[in-house]
Amino acid sequence: MSVFKHEYRAYEGRVTRRWERIGVLVRYGLAEAWSSRITVGLFTLAMLPVIADLVAIYLANNAVARMMVSTGGKFPLEIDAKFFLRVLSAQCWLALVVNAWVAPRLVSFDLADNALPILLSHPISRFGYVAGKFISLFSILSLVTWVPCLLLFGYQAYTAPQPWFGANIQVGLGLLGGSLVWIAIVALLGLALSSWVKWRMVATGVIFAAVFVPAGIGAVVTGILRTRWGFLLNVPVMMTEIWQRLLGAPPVMKPDLELPGMAITLVLLVAVAVCIALLNARIRAREVVRG
Amino acid sequence: MIAGDRIVFEDVSKFYGEVLGVNRVSLSLPPGVTTLVGPNGSGKTTLMNLMTGLVQPSSGRISVLGLTPGDPNEFFREVGYCTQFDSFPRGLTGWDFVFDSLLLHGMGSANASKLACEALERVGLMEAAHRKIAGYSKGMRQKIRLAQSIAHHPQVLVLDEPLNGLDPMARAESLALFEELSRLGMHLIISSHILDEVDRISDRVVLITGGYLVAEGNIHAVRSEVRDKPMQVLIRCDRPELLASRMFTLNHCVEARLHSDGHGVFLRTTDIDEFYRLLNGIATEGLVNIEAVAPADDDTHAIYQYLIGSEGGAS
Amino acid sequence: MGVIELQGLEVRLGGRPVLNGLTGELRGSAIGLLGPNGAGKSTLINTLLGFHTPSAGAARVLGMDSRRQRAQIRERIGYMPENDSFIGNMSGVRFVRYMAELAGLPSRVALERAHEALFFVGLGEVRYRKVSTYSLGMKQLIKLAQALAHGPRLLILDEPTNGLDPMARQRMIQMLRDIRATGSIRLLISSHLLRDIDEICDDVMILKQGRIAAICNIEEERRSHRNFIEVETVGQTDALCAALRDRGCECACFASGRLKLVMPDSIGVRDLYVAAGQHGVEIRRIHRRRDSLEDIFLRAMDLEPARGELVRI
Repeated sequence: MSVFKHEYRAYEGRVTRRWERIGVLVRYGLAEAWSSRITVGLFTLAMLPVIADLVAIYLANNAVARMMVSTGGKFPLEIDAKFFLRVLSAQCWLALVVNAWVAPRLVSFDLADNALPILLSHPISRFGYVAGKFISLFSILSLVTWVPCLLLFGYQAYTAPQPWFGANIQVGLGLLGGSLVWIAIVALLGLALSSWVKWRMVATGVIFAAVFVPAGIGAVVTGILRTRWGFLLNVPVMMTEIWQRLLGAPPVMKPDLELPGMAITLVLLVAVAVCIALLNARIRAREVVRG
Repeated sequence: MIAGDRIVFEDVSKFYGEVLGVNRVSLSLPPGVTTLVGPNGSGKTTLMNLMTGLVQPSSGRISVLGLTPGDPNEFFREVGYCTQFDSFPRGLTGWDFVFDSLLLHGMGSANASKLACEALERVGLMEAAHRKIAGYSKGMRQKIRLAQSIAHHPQVLVLDEPLNGLDPMARAESLALFEELSRLGMHLIISSHILDEVDRISDRVVLITGGYLVAEGNIHAVRSEVRDKPMQVLIRCDRPELLASRMFTLNHCVEARLHSDGHGVFLRTTDIDEFYRLLNGIATEGLVNIEAVAPADDDTHAIYQYLIGSEGGAS
Repeated sequence: MGVIELQGLEVRLGGRPVLNGLTGELRGSAIGLLGPNGAGKSTLINTLLGFHTPSAGAARVLGMDSRRQRAQIRERIGYMPENDSFIGNMSGVRFVRYMAELAGLPSRVALERAHEALFFVGLGEVRYRKVSTYSLGMKQLIKLAQALAHGPRLLILDEPTNGLDPMARQRMIQMLRDIRATGSIRLLISSHLLRDIDEICDDVMILKQGRIAAICNIEEERRSHRNFIEVETVGQTDALCAALRDRGCECACFASGRLKLVMPDSIGVRDLYVAAGQHGVEIRRIHRRRDSLEDIFLRAMDLEPARGELVRI
């Protein structure tokens, strides 16, 4: 028999590469996000419209259904860019809801008990830390936006007669592009605002407010000054414009109220820059405890 | 009206719902420095809150210098409390904090101003007094709490971990201040985990664990009452094993343990006076070359270890 | 190669210089960092960890530059900050494992080592509970566990015994001594409790107003000069005092049988006992007053050791 003494021993084994540490943050971020039942619930909610759309596409392409539902020779549902614009819009707004719930969960637990000094004393830079959180948020939002949208698109391409796909490739690309733009912006917005607000519930509210309150102000500006530039504050309108253009759908706004693409891009880039600045400031403030 | 010079607890219990604060504590504390010692969660803060009138006992009676919280004007004038908790009203400067609390005692502005200056000088925060507390370091926040508690010249000063966050010089200065105040006849009740600092200035010790009073009195008196642990003396010499064997032949020496560095021996004896007499004799013989002699466990730390030990802590 | 090398290190925060040209080398297996509040200890630690960039000069940790090789340094360091610092929503094991993975351990190994570290610091069943439910002592231990789990070569500890009750403090000190004894980790400990530093460290660096006030080895300083002997007696001390003075000692009598002596080399402790026996005095306590860390500290602060009477018989 022997007596086993367990003492501290040094570590001599393999060390992961530096970029793999970002993967660690991503994994733990995802685990944290999915551990909440509300996340699962919101995700399920976000999938419901997808199911409805799936059924709609099936019906639209099914000859029997077409015959049954036709009224006056014209089938009411047409699967085209406009349809997918609606699908994309719905999924993206649902993604905003998911983001408003998940982003605070990713950030506030680290800040609530001052974990940043310990976290950042590990070989992970500020950029790596934010990148890890961003990627986990991005992947969750992707599951709600372009993944189901592209699946629907693929299904439509499969069941519809062949010329449809060739004529509508832009729709597919637009779905991908429009989703990516949207989720990148809201993910950054979510992370930045969550880092500035102490309580998670309040952070959720603030994220919604950040999107819709300027919209209200913009609408007032547009109404009073009778100019289209008020819409630059109106994120819903701007995004709809972007999606519409990417998808090649018919214009939604009246011609004199349309905004030039450059202006919209510029405003969104400014918003992104502000978010990054906020995040940077907040992390710098919290990574070291003074006094 | 102060009647008497003792802080008296008569069979005091305090429960927070079902949770025990302290149970059946009886104390009578004279002027001087009393240290309150015990693990975290043992009831020290409850005891201090009871003493300063912030909570009322569930049963039993408390009187501080003959006063009770029933006459708040008198009571709170005579009691000062420096808590361990690090929160302050928002937006105040150090000066505001001390000055306002003096005004709350009903003093006029001129008087309060004078006393506030005095208190701030005493803790050495006069230059920083006009900065906001939010910008203070941990040590400065500790000092401003101390200033606030002594400013109105109370008779009884209750201090909860007053040295927390202070650098070595500030600790020495605070201890010197406490000693000075106790010489003026004040009651100082100090709770601390750093037992050797506490030993330097205190006259009495109160040990508490799990809400129960374990010991109370002068440290040496308490120590000598702990009979199942005989007194232990550390002797540093060149031949510790020889000394130990000599002492063992005398029948009151019950345990000998060599120091880990090999140059000393811990001896336990049931008769300390006889022990010293014999030790003097052995030293005179020149059998061993004695370097140092000191009691090894006649301090608060040893008492703590014997009476409270490791399981006393909340785990 | 020293553990920490400073070459004219200057750090400015908010435009103000906080560290003013620190130069020195620390080699010991356990180094104490002392200094009054505001001297720059936290800033120095944060600079070594790479949170602050030096405005001039350089700091090297384990031979690596703190500015250019920040990630490599962080891989080999474990940090235990002074304040509460944890992710409350996670269990203890998960938190330590997370930190170990961030330090570069593969996932499965990280789990094993997390449990090892928790076992070493003495956190038992508690490790499966959320950290937000922990008591103060446990929070200190979990900070230590996460600093150890990835097998660092240098542990940086800021007030490790903060808020611990006497038994827990003793356990923590013993644990740190055990860690030091393994030989594979160096320690850098910043504390206001001189006793803790004294028990664990062999080198100290004392900072004052952003400059180094002293770097020394504790043992070497202790072996030096003053050789006071302080004696506690029972009996008639005056006659004894006179007799000792006759034999060449400097002798001062105090109340309740206390004597302070400086003995010439010709007289030993035995002679003291003999003289005491001759005059019917019983010696109860002999204490050789050597320079303690407190004296070293006070000297570094340019103060007389007698001030405030930090040390009494």
